Amino acid sequence: MFEVRTRWGKVLLQVLATLFVLPFLFPLIVMVQGSFAGAGWGNYRAVLGVPGFFRFFLNSAIIAAGVIAIVYVVTMLASYGFAKLHIRAREVYFWMLLVCLTLPEVVLLTPLFSTTQQLGLYDTYWSVILPLAALQVPFAVLLTRNFIHGLPDEMFEAARVDGANSMRGFLYLVLPLTRPIAAAVLIFTLIGAWNDYLMPLVFLQSQDMQTITLVPQFFVGEFSNDQTKILASAVLTAIPEVVAYLCLQGLFERGLSAGAIK
Amino acid sequence: MTETTGVRGARMSHSGGTSGRPALRGGQGNASPARRQRLQAPGLPWILPALVLGVGLIYYCIGYTGYMSTLNWDGASPNPESVGLNNYVRIFTSDPVFWKAVWHTVVFFVVTFVAQTALGVIFAVMMHSRIKLGILYKVVVFVPVVLAPAIMAPVFRQMFSINGQFNWLLEHVGLGALVQPWIGQESTALPVIMAITIWQWTGLTFVLYFAAMSQIDQSMLEAARIDGAGNFRTLVSIIWPSLRGTTVALAILGAIGALKTFDVPWLVTIAGPNNATQFLGTYIYQMTIQLAHVGYGAALSIILLLVALAIAIILQVVGRERTREKKGAR
Amino acid sequence: MHLPFRSKKTLRTLAVAAMVGMTAVGLAACSSNDNQGSSGSATKGTVNWWGWTPTNTDEAKDFIAQFNKKYPDIKVNFKLIGISDYQATMRPALASNGGPDVFDLQPGSYVQQFGTYAEDMAPVAKSALGSDWKSKIAPIAVSGMTYKGKLTALPVGSTYAGTLWINHDLFTKYDLQPPKTLDEWKHVCQVFEQNGQGCFVQGASQEGFDQDTLQSIANSVKPGYWTKASKGKAKWNDPTMVKTLSIWKDLFTSGIMQKGALGAQQYPDANNQFLTGKYAMVMMGTWYTQYATEKAMTEAISAAGVAGAKPFPIVPIAFPDVAGNGNTSEMFGDADYGLAVASKSKNRAAAETFAKWIATTKQGQQVIANRLDTLPTLKGVQPDFTTIKFVDPSVQETPVTDLLKKVGSVNEPRFALLNADIENAFLAAAQSVGSGSATPQQAAETLQQAAQAAAAANG
Repeated sequence: MFEVRTRWGKVLLQVLATLFVLPFLFPLIVMVQGSFAGAGWGNYRAVLGVPGFFRFFLNSAIIAAGVIAIVYVVTMLASYGFAKLHIRAREVYFWMLLVCLTLPEVVLLTPLFSTTQQLGLYDTYWSVILPLAALQVPFAVLLTRNFIHGLPDEMFEAARVDGANSMRGFLYLVLPLTRPIAAAVLIFTLIGAWNDYLMPLVFLQSQDMQTITLVPQFFVGEFSNDQTKILASAVLTAIPEVVAYLCLQGLFERGLSAGAIK
Repeated sequence: MTETTGVRGARMSHSGGTSGRPALRGGQGNASPARRQRLQAPGLPWILPALVLGVGLIYYCIGYTGYMSTLNWDGASPNPESVGLNNYVRIFTSDPVFWKAVWHTVVFFVVTFVAQTALGVIFAVMMHSRIKLGILYKVVVFVPVVLAPAIMAPVFRQMFSINGQFNWLLEHVGLGALVQPWIGQESTALPVIMAITIWQWTGLTFVLYFAAMSQIDQSMLEAARIDGAGNFRTLVSIIWPSLRGTTVALAILGAIGALKTFDVPWLVTIAGPNNATQFLGTYIYQMTIQLAHVGYGAALSIILLLVALAIAIILQVVGRERTREKKGAR
Repeated sequence: MHLPFRSKKTLRTLAVAAMVGMTAVGLAACSSNDNQGSSGSATKGTVNWWGWTPTNTDEAKDFIAQFNKKYPDIKVNFKLIGISDYQATMRPALASNGGPDVFDLQPGSYVQQFGTYAEDMAPVAKSALGSDWKSKIAPIAVSGMTYKGKLTALPVGSTYAGTLWINHDLFTKYDLQPPKTLDEWKHVCQVFEQNGQGCFVQGASQEGFDQDTLQSIANSVKPGYWTKASKGKAKWNDPTMVKTLSIWKDLFTSGIMQKGALGAQQYPDANNQFLTGKYAMVMMGTWYTQYATEKAMTEAISAAGVAGAKPFPIVPIAFPDVAGNGNTSEMFGDADYGLAVASKSKNRAAAETFAKWIATTKQGQQVIANRLDTLPTLKGVQPDFTTIKFVDPSVQETPVTDLLKKVGSVNEPRFALLNADIENAFLAAAQSVGSGSATPQQAAETLQQAAQAAAAANG
């Protein structure tokens, strides 16, 4: 975005960026240091040695995948509908959706518990996937609708004139063009689903359905608190999310060049 | 959810399109509303999955909470006592902690929103320019978003304690006079909470602004450059206005998030010392879970919901008016 | 009235949405039909046990393995729920039909909030120990688990507070004696401070530990007053309490309480700082005995982030006579936790067998005793000291065994008489006085008002 022609300018920009990043780095260093304190690599060994660790990892992955799939499909459909198609009282529906975001998770627990029990979903992955998806969708729709709104109408009109209906417009125009925002939505949905600990704790009963967010609990006692291993588990839990970011952030790089639309 | 595909299939007949090529206005202008109605397919079936998911699962919770807010109940005993709107009256007239929490929430929202937006935009712009090792910088700013507050809380408590790393840093850069127990005193506890929040969520604003900037037409930037606009001018007149949609979205999310905010102030300072970091979210938790005043907590939740909705509507309307003005002016 | 939606289609859709919502309401409302659990077999079945303790999976496995030696056909599944999430998780679980068969309960707010879901364990205790069962279990543990006439859980282990633990090596290093009065305490802290050593550390942001300190101070000012006030028979704004809060404030102003105490939590902050030698004194109760052993101490120091450190001997000392009235500040305590059997459980008999084994048999209680973190509630069971290796027996053995003997005569409760509202009020009083935003007199008045409101609200 910024043009820096001079060498001095380039150096200045690099220095500014570094200074910017330092306050963010500082607590991270403290955290990683803490995870190696005491037993060093032994902390990581202890975390990996928690009985069922890989099972927990798998469960978190399954839940995250389910949430992402549902959120992506539902969000894309809804954002397209809100942004480009005709709906009477469109804003009212949108606000109805936003309201879902406003209740704190803690307040949702008791009613959700009885709902999942009634629907026979208790102690299944769905009892966690569906509420998490329901909570992520408004956020995702808010962002994606905005993005699609910015896509020029002529594109869709031209496609319609050429004989494509809404569905094809959706599949061949919207989906490819929304890759940047879809990547962002995907990452944040992943984080929301991966890090959630209250719902898996309450809705998943059997030991072999627990998620990775339960692992730190193994090191917190009533009279003890093993910080070193908790931090080690935090680092391990964070790795998949960072990897996902690294893989997807390339999609942000690709801008829309004017030629591609026409 | 499968019932909607049937509905969609029935509606996917080609709608109109015989009115000929629409007249093109310059830039990104839209066709006039009347013409839009004739040309556009109905959108209702498309938003139905989202509504069913949201309404089906969450609205029951809202109804349940609303019902509970009229009770004086501990969530367990078999005979809840109905008190009508008494809980609401008590909240507004005889609860100083509530107003303190509201004040903290407002201050928190304003400060963190401004800081996160400014930092997010600046960093996104920097990262879109040519920087060496850009990926490393991006990861460092992004990782805090990923870390669970439950785990970072003790780290921060230690960092900001009287012998902690933050005071160590202050001493080593010559600001030793500022050394104090940051979390242990009422005057500085809230700023620390805000700082931690900004640390955690700037990555979010960064990622979103970065994605939004990738949508900016390169040719516009080139044109401005040719016309002699400097970096700062470009930022203010071209980049920032095109981010308006994202900013409004983040403002709405930020407002709702601030109202709900619970993790950081609860885990780091337990809403203390002395309610110095009490927020609506933490107050609801305290009332509902700790003290088992489930009816009172439910009333607080309903108030939160209404305020959040009101703010969202206001921000949405204000945001759109600006956009419409902007589009009209072109 | 002009509605925003004129189209019939829209109205229809909204109606559908509303119906979906309301059906869910209706269905869920129906779900609150409790089914009374069935008994099941007493020696066979699966028991789901939820609790915040034991947190060590090894500890839980150990209990269950020992239990299975006697009852091999009862499978016990333990689900760990961290204590900070316990209330949030248990409320929906217990209200539904999918909750645990056996769950942990703690005296005070947990017993009050969740006791309704537990069955009365008095008949179970009777069948295990005979009709004089009450005399065989520590009385304070029984009263802690009793609410509205129902024994909501069988107490498993007790903990007592009102002691301080010191780092014996640090005291020897600076040639100091454990303080017996407030002035001696101040002196000890001055010496430590002069030598760049921290003196006393507390997680004063947390209610439970502040309450312990306040109760100890009150016991020094006027023995038994705190318990009387907790029963509602005395006032919280009495001069006794004002004096208590003044002494509490003195701890802050004289530098005994570490700087920034109001922002620290006991676990992990204060605990780690004591274990790594940064501070020489900490206020912990009998549960800290578990760190008196060499093995536990070494592990704990490593967990606190210091590699390869040498364990040091910790020694319990009596709370100093801070009021200067010549009173001994008596200890106080309750059952640390008990096992409750859910009345909705479908395996009630097997669940009862399990709870009975841990709480009322010598074998079960011996397993508990040897852990050293809680004291057995069954009378006549002692930790097996032949297998316990202290860091420095010459320094620790006598004080520790004395401490464990002393608690047998404790008759003042810790949490049992309190509810969540009054605990919240304690925290407010402690913090407002500690931070200086209220005088001891003002804080005492506020506390009294809050106590009255709490009594009214909790019936």
